[in-house]
Order: sequence, then C-alpha cells, then structure tokens
Amino acid sequence: MRRVVITGMGAVTPLGHTAPATWAALREGRSAIGPITSLPRETLRFGIAAEVRDFDPLKHFDEKKLILLDRVSQLALVAAREAIAQSGIDFARENIGENTAVVIGTGIGGEQTNDEASRRMYAENNPRLHPLTIVRLMANAPACQISIEHGLHGPAFATVSACASANHAIAQAFHMVRSGVASAAITGGTEACITMGVMRAWEAMRVLADDTCRPFSKQRRGLVLGEGAAVFVLEALEDAERRGATILAELAGAGMSADAGDIVFPSDAGAALAMRRALADAKLAPDDVDYINAHGTGTPANDPTETRAIRQTFGERANALAVSSTKSMHGHALGAAGAIELVATIGALRDGVVPPTANFVDPDPACDLDYVPNVARDLRVRAALSNSFAFGGLNAVIALRRAP
Amino acid sequence: MSSVKDTIYDIIAKESGIDRAKITPEATLKDLEIQSLDAVQILFEIEDHFKITMPDRDPNFDTESVQGLIDTVEKLAAEQGAKPAAS
Repeated sequence: MRRVVITGMGAVTPLGHTAPATWAALREGRSAIGPITSLPRETLRFGIAAEVRDFDPLKHFDEKKLILLDRVSQLALVAAREAIAQSGIDFARENIGENTAVVIGTGIGGEQTNDEASRRMYAENNPRLHPLTIVRLMANAPACQISIEHGLHGPAFATVSACASANHAIAQAFHMVRSGVASAAITGGTEACITMGVMRAWEAMRVLADDTCRPFSKQRRGLVLGEGAAVFVLEALEDAERRGATILAELAGAGMSADAGDIVFPSDAGAALAMRRALADAKLAPDDVDYINAHGTGTPANDPTETRAIRQTFGERANALAVSSTKSMHGHALGAAGAIELVATIGALRDGVVPPTANFVDPDPACDLDYVPNVARDLRVRAALSNSFAFGGLNAVIALRRAP
Repeated sequence: MSSVKDTIYDIIAKESGIDRAKITPEATLKDLEIQSLDAVQILFEIEDHFKITMPDRDPNFDTESVQGLIDTVEKLAAEQGAKPAAS
C-alpha cells in the first residue's frame, strides 16, 4: 500500500475564486454569509446564504462549451484547472492520464438545470425541454467534464451522501491511489443548489438560521446554506517525490461509518466510529492530532452531538484539541462542504494557523471544547481530522498529516 | 365543521401516530414524545390546512404546547380572514 499525498488544490467558494483567496479569508476570520442576491429574497423566510459572488462563466468557458455545463460543473471545472495547474502534472505527456481516477462528490448535481426545466414544464406549460437538460443535471456531470477536459481514463464517478459527499469522494479516490488501482486521482466536491425550490425545502425543515452561522455557540440558530467547489490532485508519495512536486499535505487515512439510526438526527456513536476508523487507518494516536475541522453546522442537533463524539474518540486529549467549524465563514456547501473544509485543513497544516469558528458569542455548556472562537490561532498542526456527518447518519472523516 | 382544536388534535394524532386520547391542551409536543421530524410535519400540515405560516421562534407565539398551537392558529387564521385572500 502506497502513501498518498496532495499535490494540487483548487477552489471556487463564497470566500474567493481560488484556493489561496479562500484560505486568506479563512485566516482573517472573514464571513461570506449575507443576504441572498441571486434570488428574489422577499418571499424567502430568512433569505441568507453564502453565495459564490461575481463568478462570470464566460471568463472560463466559451459559449459552445458553456451550454453543456450547469453551474455545479462550471465551479468544479475551474477548481480542477487550478488544482491540476498547481500540481504541475502534464497528464497527456506523462501518460498518467491513462489511469487517473476522477471522483467528485455532489449532493444534488445540476439542480439549477433541473429547476429551470421544471419551471418551463410546469409554470410555462412548455413540454419542450432543452435537449441538453439530462447531461447538465446528472450528478456525474462534474466528474465527466473533468475527465473529458483533462483526458483522464481511470475510474470516474460521483459519490452522493448529502453533506458527506465530498469526504466520501476523497476517501474513494484515496483508497484507489493507495492500493494502486489508480495511479493518481482528481477528487473533491461541488454544489450549486441555491434555487427557490431548494431554499423553500430547507426552510420547511426549520433548521436554517435567521441571522448567521454560529457553530458551537450558545446563540446558534441553525445552518446557513452555501455553494462552491474544491478539487484536489492525489498521487503516490513516491511519484510526487520523483517528480519533485510540492507536496501540500499527506492524506493519511479515511474513516467511514453509518449511524443506522435516524434519517435526520445524528448519533455521537456513529460519528465517533468514523473518527476512530480514520485514526486507525492513518495509524494516528489521539495525542498525534492537533486540529479537527468540525462538521459544525450550527444546528442545535449537530454541535453537542459532535462534541460528545469527539470526547468519546479522543478521551483526555479532547481538551487539548483545537476544533473549529469553517462553515461559520463559507456556509454549509452540502456536497462540496468536505472539499472546501479540506482547503481549510491543508491551510492549517501548511501555515501552522488554525482558522477560527466565526460569529461565536457565548459558550454553550453542552459544547465544551476549544473552538478557536472568532480569531485564527498560530498553532503547529502535525495531524488533523476533517469531519462530515450527513443526514441519514452517513459519516466520513479524512485524516491528514503535514507534508513529509 | 371541526373546530380548530379538533383539527389540530387530528393532525397531531395522524402525523405522530399517538393515541388521540393522550393529547391534552397543556401537553407539549416533547411531553407527547413526538420526534422533531414529526413535529415539523405537524406544523406543515397545520400550515397547509389553515393556509397560514406558523411563526418560527417568535417569543410572541407559543408553538410548543397544544393549547399554544390552537391559540396561534386561531390568531393567524383570524388575521388571514381580515386580509384579502393571498397564498
């Protein structure tokens, strides 16, 4: 089994249109949560989200290509380009493309295309739909488009597990590169589902905040939706070293579990199981870990449950951990969440700076860990976990080490 | 025609599956051991039936107890009746 490293990273998020811009904002504790601008927000209950603003697709794609691409694929492609450019791999020349996997998580795929097709059919009574509707909205479209654009012939597919989609994608890609089934992988997550229907459906669950996202804080009032994409290049350590590539971090392990409990309410035991599996897979002891990028949605349900799960997994060590939720700044990007959060975790490992949990007011007795409130902290991070705990109890945790 | 109280009792019993006889005005949905997802569906059914929007975490409205739900619905339905029909 080979060691796996990350040699390229790209992102288009509410905090910035590149990975460095996103990380810079996270370090500053800047939040991208605000009133929704892309929809008529007067009819929405609260109308706040973390949107990717001022993204001009024509800057990145010509019109002929753009017609094939839902926003969810546009964001993924731009992020993938950045990651691949950073890695310095020339897939065509070095023949690595022959067996490079593409695994891109998404919660719902081309929702904007689906929404537009529905509007046409039901509101306009126009049954003539655009012939490219299916190829735009299918959840595998981002993975397909990346494979097509870069000539990648390895295993390619999407993973779907709501808020854990991206971490599940990264875990699958990691397994394939580690075992040698794939020589390298492009992996991450993407989501662009801020439409009227999706907003209304989320409102109906009564889990959305009306002010902002305050994970772990006593004043938290729920989650705030986001959107965006982040994509990474994975390869074997030996290949990266041979190429003289810059290694961003080591992908040391992945842990996955299912709560087998409730369709919405999370289980601390299920979450702890995924974290324990990630540690074991990475051969990390609790004392080796310095930082956890939490799932931290800011809902009454998640935050205390995740806190208990961290205590169950880390025992005494829990009190020494820095735990932060960057959803406080980039919102909950659903299928892209784990990928955007990997940008944050890699930043922490490389720079020795832990991003804060923003918008934190007072502590909640049920959430009693060190959540790095409001201000980023200098901290040498040797190893970190990144948590995603999804509806229906689907948990995926990624374990990372500083670049060797 | 059923009273607001009867309709709300019916909705609670149907959505949660609990015995209608167990529902009392002072009981909260928590007391009745109704899971949060069922509670959200109860609010949805009430909204859909009476064509109102139940308030979210508004300190002026008690939406926790059964009597509170009845009072809230009666107040909002009366306000709705005073307005021209809207959705």
